[in-house]
This record gives sequence, structure tokens and C-alpha cells, in this order.
Amino acid sequence: MKEVKVEVIGPEPECMRCQAAKKAVEKAAEKLKQAGIMVNIEKINIMSKGTVQKYGVLVSPAIAINNTVKIMGRVPKPDEVEKLIVEAAK
Amino acid sequence: MEEKTKRAIRAGVILAFVIVVVGLLIYSRIQAYSLAPTSTPIELRGYPLWAIPLVYLYDYFSHGTICLLFAFTVAGLIYEFVPKEVITKYMGSSRAVGYALALGIAPFLTVCSCTMVPLFGGILYAGAGIGPAITFLLMAPASNILAILLTGELISWELAGVRILASATVALVAGIIISKTPWGKAVENEYQGNSVAPAAAKVEIVKPPLDERLWAALKFGGYLAKQILPYFILGLIIVGYLEAFLPEEIIKTYLTGAGGVLLASVLGGPLYTPTLVEIVLGRGIWVREGVILSKGALLSWLMGQPYDFANAIAVSRIARWKVVATYVIIAWAGSVTFGLLYGLLSGSL
Repeated sequence: MKEVKVEVIGPEPECMRCQAAKKAVEKAAEKLKQAGIMVNIEKINIMSKGTVQKYGVLVSPAIAINNTVKIMGRVPKPDEVEKLIVEAAK
Repeated sequence: MEEKTKRAIRAGVILAFVIVVVGLLIYSRIQAYSLAPTSTPIELRGYPLWAIPLVYLYDYFSHGTICLLFAFTVAGLIYEFVPKEVITKYMGSSRAVGYALALGIAPFLTVCSCTMVPLFGGILYAGAGIGPAITFLLMAPASNILAILLTGELISWELAGVRILASATVALVAGIIISKTPWGKAVENEYQGNSVAPAAAKVEIVKPPLDERLWAALKFGGYLAKQILPYFILGLIIVGYLEAFLPEEIIKTYLTGAGGVLLASVLGGPLYTPTLVEIVLGRGIWVREGVILSKGALLSWLMGQPYDFANAIAVSRIARWKVVATYVIIAWAGSVTFGLLYGLLSGSL
């Protein structure tokens, strides 16, 4: 079983588009469970010192997979997230 | 191969739609066909009270639908295709670059209000300093693409252009002044205390194929429309009544001239109105049968945006209230100065 860490980066409290992004990730994660990939979803605050130190200034919503920001400022489709996670798991 | 053709066709269909929308707008321009409502106060007063909003809304949408469609489509496209990574990569590299980014790119990224305050915080944490952060904050709502497109279409392109220039100047001045004040420096030190250069290597943006990006752009335009149109329609209903019953003499007495600029600048700020409604309201108050009664006062009114309460409160949670008070005062003074200046220069105070 492979593990992939996915961080959904957005403001606190969550904005509408960040919720949509999170849902896309959750949907992808559910599908991947059957394929044997464990997805750990974390919600992190775009405006915390830690986030900016790690990734720099981001446009929300952003999605980082295994500590690399792959998507920024848009809401992806679940199957796009799925593809990215599968790639990261290889 | 087949997948490729499918994608190309999809992209082609969406592009064709965009071209039609842009074409319709250009066509309406060539035909010199009014995109704004044409009812006159006397006509409006002839209807029963309950019918005025309906008549006005019908009047507006029968003319303005192309303009709205154009604005939301273009806003979605620009937002999707503007390179957002540039901010991540260069914000914080130097002060001058920080200011340039805050002025040049920020307006494109903040059509959605939920990105504004987080970006402000991000800029501070990234070590770009309080100056660029404030410049960004003031520039963003004043000159976001939707606001500019609608100002241009509903009021005049001249006013839209002046608005960009004036907002940029005020935003830059406010940023520079605040970065020199002791309280501005205090906030900056607090955030920079143990700042580390942001690691650019950890960002590898994945770009989906063209057809998906185009579709996402239209979807985002639709999302914006859904967010904004309810307020916009409410604004139009109010404007319908204003146009019918607010006598021209009152506007000429109180809302033109130097006093008018002052009053407009005071009303335009705290009176919290979502950006686009401010444009419709401004039109309802100052534009009578296609003539702007006072360009100066209207500019002041439109520039009142950055110091409304809701924004100020959100920002004061990050920066101290002294910083907020300073930028509110500078923004207000800026709106008065440019209102007067533009009014005098254009001969329409």
C-alpha cells in the first residue's frame, strides 16, 4: 500500500472554491483507495507562517501533492487530481 | 489520436463562443447601440411604484446582457490564463519587484474576494514588506478586471482609464508612506522576524490541456456571475427608483462641485457596496440621459471602494489598526484629490 500526502491550501475560514477543491481531492482519494493508494488529506492555512515558508505566496485554492504545489488558483476535476496522485505514487 | 481531435474540437467550440461574445460587443459598438438603460425619469415615473424595478430591469437586461456576458467571459479567461506562478516566484525577491507585481498582476487575481486577504497575508509573510502588501490591497478591488470592464461599458472608458491611473497612484503612495511609518515598520518586523526565503523549487504547476483550461475559464466566469448578479440586480432595482425620483436639481446642488466630490468620497467608502453595485449606483446617481453630471464626483465615489468597513476589519486582524487607519485616510484623501483634479481638468466638476 502506497501513501501519498495531499495538502489542500486555502484561507481560514474556508472559501467556497477551496471547499470545492477539497471535495475533488476527497473524491479522487476514495477511488484510489480501491487501487491500493492511501491518500492523506490535510487542510492547511494559506496565511500561516509555515505555509508561506514552505511554498511561498500562493493563490488559493492550491493543492500540493507530496510537498510539491501542483495546482494553484483553480478548482480541479477529481480525475485530474487522481492522475496527479497516481503519478506521485509511482 | 482520437483523444486529441476530440480535445481540439472542444477547444474550438469554446473559442468560437468567446469570439461570438466579443464580436457581439464590437458589433454593438459599431452600431452605436446603447448598452445601458435608456429610460428617462419622466417615463419611469409614469409607471406604478411596483412596476418601476421590472421596467428598469427589463430595460437594463435588454441592452446590457451582451455587456455582462462579455465582462464575465473575459474576466474568467484572464483569470485562468494570467501566470499565477509569477507571484510565487518573484514576490519577496526585492521591494521594487514587489511593488510592480502588486500593481501589475494583483488586479487580475482578485476578481474573487476570497483570494484578496490571503494574498495580502502571504505577501507580508514572504518578506516583501508592508509597502507592497498595502499597495496590493488598495489596487486589487479598485482595478479588478470586472470592475474596469463594467465601468467602461456602463459609464465611460475614459473614466475607467482615469480610475486605473488614479488608483495605482494612490495605492503606490499609500504603500510607500506606510512602509516609512513606525507602526508600519513594527508590523513588518513582526512578520519578517524569522522569515526564510520562500522555497521556489517546491512549486511545479501542472497545466491541463487547452480545452479544459478554456472550459474552466468559462466556468469561473459563471461562478463570478452567480456570486455577483444577485447584488447587481438589487443595485439595479435601487437605481430604478433613484432615476425615477431623485431630482436632477438635488444632485446638481449637493453632488457636484468640490462639495459634491467630498460628499461622494465619504458616501462611497463606508457605505458597503460590492464593487460592481457601486458602478451601477454611481451611474444611477450621476448619469442622466447619457450625460455625466460631475465626472469628478463620480470618480471619487468609485474610488471609495478600498476603505469600506468589511475590508478594513479583515485587514486589521493581520496588520494593526494604526496601519488600517493610515491607509484609509490616504485612500480617502486620494479619492478627494483625484476627484477634484479630474473634475477640474475635464471641466466637469
